[in-house]
Amino acid sequence: MSDQSIKSRPVYQSLAMDLSGLRHLLVSDSPAYRFEAPPDREVEVWFVAGPDQEGRIPPSETVHERGFRSPRHLIDRLDHRLAQERMGLRLYVSGTEDFLWDVFNTAQRAGMTKQEIFQCHSGTRARRVACVHCRTFNHGVTTTIVRCDGCGANLFVRDHFSRRLSAFMGVKIDAEVAGEVPPAEQAYS
Amino acid sequence: MILDGKLSARVAEIERLSPTLKRFRFVPEKGGAFPTSPPGAHVLVTLRGPDRVWQNAYSLVTPPDQRDHYAIVVRRVPDSRGGSHFLHDRLEIGDAVELSAPASLFPIASLARKHILIAGGIGLTPFLSYRPVLASRGAAYELHQFCAPDEVETFRGLLGSDAAGIHVHGVGRGERPDLAALLADQPLGTHVYTCGPQGLMDAVEETARGLGWTPHAIHRESFGGDKGGEPFTVTLARSGRSIAVGASQTLLEALEGEGIEAPCLCRGGACGVCLLPLVEGIPDHRDHVLSDAEKAEGRLIATCVSRARSETLVLDF
Amino acid sequence: MGIQFKTDETFRDDFSYRNSDAAVLRFPFPFGEDKYMYSVNIEPHVKAGTSPAFEHAFDVDEHYVAECRERAIVLDHDPKRCQVLAHMMPAQWDTLELLMESLSADYPEHFSLTRDGTAWHWINRPLGLDQRFVFGDASTLPCEPFEYITRQAQGDFTLQDQRDDNLYVDGGMVTTQADWSLEFDIGMSFHEWHGPVPLAHEIGVFDRALQYLLRLQYGHPVRRLNWTMTINPRLDTSPENYPDWGPDRTTVTPENIAGKLHLRVELQTLFRLPRSNAILFGIRCYLISLQDIERVEKWRKRLHRVLASLPPELVEYKGLTRFHGMAVSRLAALDDGAPLSLGIQPDQARLE
Repeated sequence: MSDQSIKSRPVYQSLAMDLSGLRHLLVSDSPAYRFEAPPDREVEVWFVAGPDQEGRIPPSETVHERGFRSPRHLIDRLDHRLAQERMGLRLYVSGTEDFLWDVFNTAQRAGMTKQEIFQCHSGTRARRVACVHCRTFNHGVTTTIVRCDGCGANLFVRDHFSRRLSAFMGVKIDAEVAGEVPPAEQAYS
Repeated sequence: MILDGKLSARVAEIERLSPTLKRFRFVPEKGGAFPTSPPGAHVLVTLRGPDRVWQNAYSLVTPPDQRDHYAIVVRRVPDSRGGSHFLHDRLEIGDAVELSAPASLFPIASLARKHILIAGGIGLTPFLSYRPVLASRGAAYELHQFCAPDEVETFRGLLGSDAAGIHVHGVGRGERPDLAALLADQPLGTHVYTCGPQGLMDAVEETARGLGWTPHAIHRESFGGDKGGEPFTVTLARSGRSIAVGASQTLLEALEGEGIEAPCLCRGGACGVCLLPLVEGIPDHRDHVLSDAEKAEGRLIATCVSRARSETLVLDF
Repeated sequence: MGIQFKTDETFRDDFSYRNSDAAVLRFPFPFGEDKYMYSVNIEPHVKAGTSPAFEHAFDVDEHYVAECRERAIVLDHDPKRCQVLAHMMPAQWDTLELLMESLSADYPEHFSLTRDGTAWHWINRPLGLDQRFVFGDASTLPCEPFEYITRQAQGDFTLQDQRDDNLYVDGGMVTTQADWSLEFDIGMSFHEWHGPVPLAHEIGVFDRALQYLLRLQYGHPVRRLNWTMTINPRLDTSPENYPDWGPDRTTVTPENIAGKLHLRVELQTLFRLPRSNAILFGIRCYLISLQDIERVEKWRKRLHRVLASLPPELVEYKGLTRFHGMAVSRLAALDDGAPLSLGIQPDQARLE
């Protein structure tokens, strides 16, 4: 089954500029972002440097660009920026699913609505999986079944996605009959 | 709270606020308390005149926790078909009136970080119930009231104070309110609410959109728009009766005028209660309930606001 | 005369929960026809209808005290079963007002509310509570208002915020749930929250239900019945504790099924709230054993027909796979195939 049929998971689009906005900010978890903007519009770009930078802030090529050391570094700065922003801003987000929703939740706390935020999924399809039993987050999951880092249960990765947690639900697969665990399949890479 | 039928009430006080404005205070007929009313709510007031019955929607100006009475403020309209002259000229203290349960079609946005309320003239009324609620929640808000210069003092009196964030602007003939100045440079997460003449509400919406506000941040009161148009005839398929709908009345009013009890609630094309199945004829949809696809299908019509593009409509009713 | 509460029964360990004969006869049996399929089966929640459970805004029965105690146990283990997002404080007070007004008006012998402006006095006799507080000031209650009052009510509750032409589940008290997690689902929109439900999305059930609920009017609540099946009279069938209750499903045998298998019915009610414009969603859970259903002729025959014709996707989704066949063959022996009256009423005044 295609994972895009999951009702609780959004269908991500490619990014296009929303011309009803007055100011435009693109945030990306990688330096290799792409965004088509009309020549007469300015887009500010915030991006995360690759691991090859080893903690250095990457140089900006134009005044509209700004580099950050990590996704966390970028989101902390974004939180501060949005607290001072005015109506008319449009926020574009490009990156892994974790990053898309961490940014979305930050923007929603600042008062932005879903009509002002646009998301494009890029990079790994690996899933963040929240264990529903012990609440541990399991990162970078690429298989249909994963052993929980927290409680050790063999979790089936259910097709149910929480935007607030930015995670899929993991449920113990052999809860009814202990040990009935089918082999895990590589599914989301 | 399960409400069954209408609320029986009595007129307890009538206060003249200006030559054309009166405030009416209603108390529960049998004592006790009215239901908690939503901020921005309106009630349908049933008025029984000697030769006809009106059901008019008025915003409550009392806050939610005011349950010993409800109050409305009504302007007497010169060419009144809605019953405002009846309220002004005939209604007396002690008279019985029937009220619907208060309905909420103009709620306060729960996630807004700031609220801008923009009213024109008597459109101030829903914001009179917003104000104490916003204040008690500690919410950031501004209220801008636009009115004719000779009514500035009246509305200042209604607002009760010149508290911070409350502005009454007199607008002379031919002048236009500077909405861009109000809406520019507002913090992220601001929502705007507007109630008043169609022209003002359109201008608020247009100005906000031009400044990059999205539709979810723009709220407008939806009852009280233009309801007139070309006259037409409606035929009720079940009884075979034909009823003329005049240029200045709604389809629903025409049915009620003939003593027919048609379903209705908001009387503003927002709640969907009045939808009736349409068998024949071309509807002129003016409601906010049906989707574009449903409007194109033409199988339902909101009788409280929608009219006909054909000479006749046949309803399965 | 008030309700005789069965104060000692349990929903875990020794499972001493039982229905009295009167409770069986007033059970809101959910099947009005011989086949079951999803539909927008919503009707006005007026104080009348084909089940006595519909006669009050919030139904209170003989299990009230025991269910409140069970809720307290679950919350003690996992306080996150009650969560309300920060912007829903007006809806918390709306809920408290609605429940206190309804319970005190419907059951004056058990609950009383007196008010002097914002000074409120609440008495809950079955639970022995006497609370004076200031309406609107959460610091005058032992906990937040939504938690305070839903600890004193049967069934789960969620709060739906209405914005952007959608409903968001932005709060809840969820301790008696049929396998869904508030901690995971809180904040979700209507379609996200119902995401895992099979078949219903495709026939447009959720689109139409959402459009209907967005127009839900204050003072005019609505209701519907939903159902599933549970092994043992266990209220807390949460995904959180699935490792603890999942093994129950393997313990069913033809010999013990009548006592172990329970039909689990949710009387779902939806109320528009005034101050917040939110919707309070009540999910009142009723449990009845198969052996008690078998004491009503119409119900045992109808349950047989419904289970025998249930689409396989629903058998799987409702978690019935391990014992569905066993239940159908047991009930088949009790069904002569005679036509049954439409509707959910038992058609008999005493149990067999």
